[in-house]
Amino acid sequence: MSTTVQHPGEHSGGAAADAPAPTPARTGRPARRPRAKGRATEALMSRIAVNGALVLATLYMLLPLAWLLIAATKDMGGLFGGDGFAFDGFHFTENVKAVNNESDGIYWRWYLNSLLYAGVGAAVGSFVSVLAGYAFDKFDFPGKEKLFGGVLLGVLVPTTAVALPLYLLASKVGLVNTFWAVFIPVIVNPFGVYLARVFSAGYIPGEVLEAARMDGAGEIRTFRSVALPMMMPGFVTIFLFQFTAIWNNFFLPLVMLSDQKLYPVSLGLYSWNTNAHASPEFYPLVITGSLMAVVPLVVAFVSLQRHWRSGLSAGSVK
Amino acid sequence: MQRTSIRLGTALVGIVTALSLVTACGGGDGDKKKDAGAGPAAGGGPAQKQELSFWSWTKGTQEVVDAFNKSHPDIQVKYEQIPSGNAGGYAKMSNAVKAGNAPDVLTIEYPQLPDFVSQGAVQDITSKVSGLKSKFPASVNKLTELGGKTWAVPLDAAPMALYYRKDFFTDHNIAVPKTWDEYRAAAEQVKKADPNARIGTFYPDDPSTMAGLTWQAGGAWFGTEGESWKVSLTDPNSRKVGEYWNKLVSDDLVRVQPSFSQQWNADLKSGGTVGIVGASWSAGVLKSSQPDLAGKWAVAPLPDWGTPANAMLGGSTFAVSKDSKKSKAALTFIEWMTTTKEGISARIASGTSSAYPAATELVPTASQFFDTGYFGKQDIYPLFTDAAGKVGAGWTWGPSMTQTNTILKDQFGKLSSGGTIVGALEEAQKTTVEELKKRGISVK
Amino acid sequence: MNTSLRAGRRRRKTTAALFLTPFYVLFIATMIVPIGYAIWLSLFTEKTSGLGFGGTRRVFTGLGNYADALGDDKFRDGFIAIGLYCLLYIPIMVGAALVLALLLDSALARARRFFQLALFLPHAVPGIIAALIWVYLYTPGLSPIIDLLESGGLHWDFLASDTALFSIVNIATWEWIGYNMIIFYAALQAIPREVVEAATVDGAGPVRIAVSVKIPMIRAAVAMTMLFTIIGSLQLFTEPSILSDANPAVGSSWTPNMYAYSAAFRANDFGLAAAASVLLAVFAAALSFGVTRLSSGRRTA
Repeated sequence: MSTTVQHPGEHSGGAAADAPAPTPARTGRPARRPRAKGRATEALMSRIAVNGALVLATLYMLLPLAWLLIAATKDMGGLFGGDGFAFDGFHFTENVKAVNNESDGIYWRWYLNSLLYAGVGAAVGSFVSVLAGYAFDKFDFPGKEKLFGGVLLGVLVPTTAVALPLYLLASKVGLVNTFWAVFIPVIVNPFGVYLARVFSAGYIPGEVLEAARMDGAGEIRTFRSVALPMMMPGFVTIFLFQFTAIWNNFFLPLVMLSDQKLYPVSLGLYSWNTNAHASPEFYPLVITGSLMAVVPLVVAFVSLQRHWRSGLSAGSVK
Repeated sequence: MQRTSIRLGTALVGIVTALSLVTACGGGDGDKKKDAGAGPAAGGGPAQKQELSFWSWTKGTQEVVDAFNKSHPDIQVKYEQIPSGNAGGYAKMSNAVKAGNAPDVLTIEYPQLPDFVSQGAVQDITSKVSGLKSKFPASVNKLTELGGKTWAVPLDAAPMALYYRKDFFTDHNIAVPKTWDEYRAAAEQVKKADPNARIGTFYPDDPSTMAGLTWQAGGAWFGTEGESWKVSLTDPNSRKVGEYWNKLVSDDLVRVQPSFSQQWNADLKSGGTVGIVGASWSAGVLKSSQPDLAGKWAVAPLPDWGTPANAMLGGSTFAVSKDSKKSKAALTFIEWMTTTKEGISARIASGTSSAYPAATELVPTASQFFDTGYFGKQDIYPLFTDAAGKVGAGWTWGPSMTQTNTILKDQFGKLSSGGTIVGALEEAQKTTVEELKKRGISVK
Repeated sequence: MNTSLRAGRRRRKTTAALFLTPFYVLFIATMIVPIGYAIWLSLFTEKTSGLGFGGTRRVFTGLGNYADALGDDKFRDGFIAIGLYCLLYIPIMVGAALVLALLLDSALARARRFFQLALFLPHAVPGIIAALIWVYLYTPGLSPIIDLLESGGLHWDFLASDTALFSIVNIATWEWIGYNMIIFYAALQAIPREVVEAATVDGAGPVRIAVSVKIPMIRAAVAMTMLFTIIGSLQLFTEPSILSDANPAVGSSWTPNMYAYSAAFRANDFGLAAAASVLLAVFAAALSFGVTRLSSGRRTA
């Protein structure tokens, strides 16, 4: 079967890579040698066109972020008047203070909640996925492919379509508006299982396991000391993307939580934004709070780019 | 590559361990709090301190709660600001009621009170507030009594008024309109004086203004006859108001913007919108959202159809949630907020509220504590009092206004693509009747 | 057969069961049971009587809620909106991601690492924050983008009723181009160099190579992207909900998901909400199953 690396996002999109496993990625091809002067100018023109298009696309991607950065320095007056891309007084510190003071620093509580939901949720979730993916890849047992088919069906059902049924169930069993109502569902990541199976096939040669077994290691020990370290890059990839998906998750907390002490940042900012209907002084708080919520993810992606990039490009076997 | 991954893996495990410790602490903390909360309710001893939870979004609430907590050492209120009802507050409250974690005291505007009552979300407080009834006008009491029982205590009466930019009207010699015909003429003059200015805004997201204007015109969207509802969103008066505003919209004499949206704020700030058809509480909203425009705004009576009339737009009540075990303390708090000088003065002195107390005898208190500097020293409370006296008594809110409003909202959203206000009312009439019947409610 | 081998095999079966249990327990508890419970709930409705202030009782209604949902224009309009959204969004987003990946992969591109990272960054922004930012950038008087367009003589109202779809597509595109671009780029990098060189020797230009060599070779990646984009599109909720605060043309049930939410939390009709969720889940599973079969069928052919 052809294999893919992909993560179904909370919202839209995702994709796939069909690439043979640990092959190192090429670093670009040598440019063709121009044969004549005319071709040289032509090449220069194409080079300008290609890089120009890339610069334009980059501008499109970065302008909204630049706007957020500038808007976070404005007070109410500046936000609703004047030029969006011009600085209008520097109120960033006041805004941060206002965010800190609002409802006794509830924002940081949300932040901590998000870290818990996303950090612990993604760690536990990727581990559960890796366990299952490894079992699917390395063990034979009756009904294996049928069970795996169930996983694939889980990939195909949108998570938000299940959120409302989850809410109905949670209110039946009294779990609604608890930490667990958000935490437990986000752990489950059928696509992670699928990925883990692919990673396990790509990273762990069967002979290595056989050797470990010959040495008398039990199955669990073999997994812990041989297989798991070899699957680490795959684990990191699953972790990172599950982390992002949970951090960005909005619909599930929206339906599950009514106690704002349990909110993740996304839902907290949303509630501030709706507060702004009655109290416009919340608008600058939303902007500044958004900026502070985006920063850790940007930092994580920039500093861990080698991991997610190799994770996305590596990882599949036919 | 492999090595760094492993190191990263170890780091992750470390983070997870650290975080799970935090969760463990968080969990423990939560449990402790729960116990503390359950204590007084279970014990119920009078000497024990009671903790009340309270959700609201009305202006000046924080100050009111602070003042109450200071003067009532035995009852401590914990206030959480939630989104205004229309903007998601009601969804949050009914969700919480279902989950069994609703606060003791809920804020509900008059139109949505029937919704919450029919959901069984609030307590019947008839016997406990009978002494308060005489403090409120009959037209207000009528809105908190449903099916012969009392469910909530009103805070403000919210008569409607017209807000306008005095500087703009004076500069361009535009007379402040007294009737709706004059309002239309003034709208034309405003646009003529400055092609980028408009006299007001039609709020497609907030049908309650349309309801208020219909109420003023003598219409009645809902009524009861015995044990049955009468739904008449398309009676002649409703149509008249609908057609009037539709014409203003289609002639581009008013803006079409969601209420309190960024656009609305931006246009008020830039002077692109020079008037607001609002209620008593709008004065506080203006003050806090447009501080730069102090001294430029003034208030006038709401234009009418030739005969003096007014209506209520919004207005809040407080109710005790179904599962609250502290209804006695809750009612002490509610009563203090709505019917005492201290409660009203704390709210108005916050500087952000211009609530018009439903308890008539407290209007002078509100007036005394309201800082009129923003309106160039114009004494606005007498104007509200006059307006409140003209509020018609024939209005009843329907049993599922949230749903009716949702239908209207969705239909008003189609105004820019060929829809009409009257068309929206017709659709709302049809769908509301269908939905009510589906739920087993009797409709005539 | 040797007994120790058999014992090893049995042990491995036990281990497999042990390893699979956590996932399946969670999977059943958070996917299967809720959907089952939703199906059960969808068979009931709440009834009241008289003026409606006397409490409610639950009655069996069979498939009544399904009939109500399917008979409701708003629910069907939601699917139409999603259909239109996909028609606009998928070509734009996937097309742009593909073009950018090809540009990056071409020999002419500079600063590949920087471009990859910069183009990917929006994916790190939570959808709700992305939507909040764009609402400001759509609001006349606040938006530098509108000012820019105006100075170029262009008038574009991002908050009109007929531009709502485009405005939502734009937000989603902004969030997802970079992510998919990285995936395509990774797939492109994996194309054996000889294939491209052979085409170059045959005299094919870079555009020809991109269209007739590179794209066919990453077809599987493109197909998977499409599949996941469709699944993602069906759950559209955040962006239109935020935009509906600024643009009244985006109603309370603009997408099927919003319809279900509105039924549950505005109309308090859990039966209808459950029915709508079940319909959406079934529809999504059927659709993506169809797409998978279609694309895998084409791949083997």
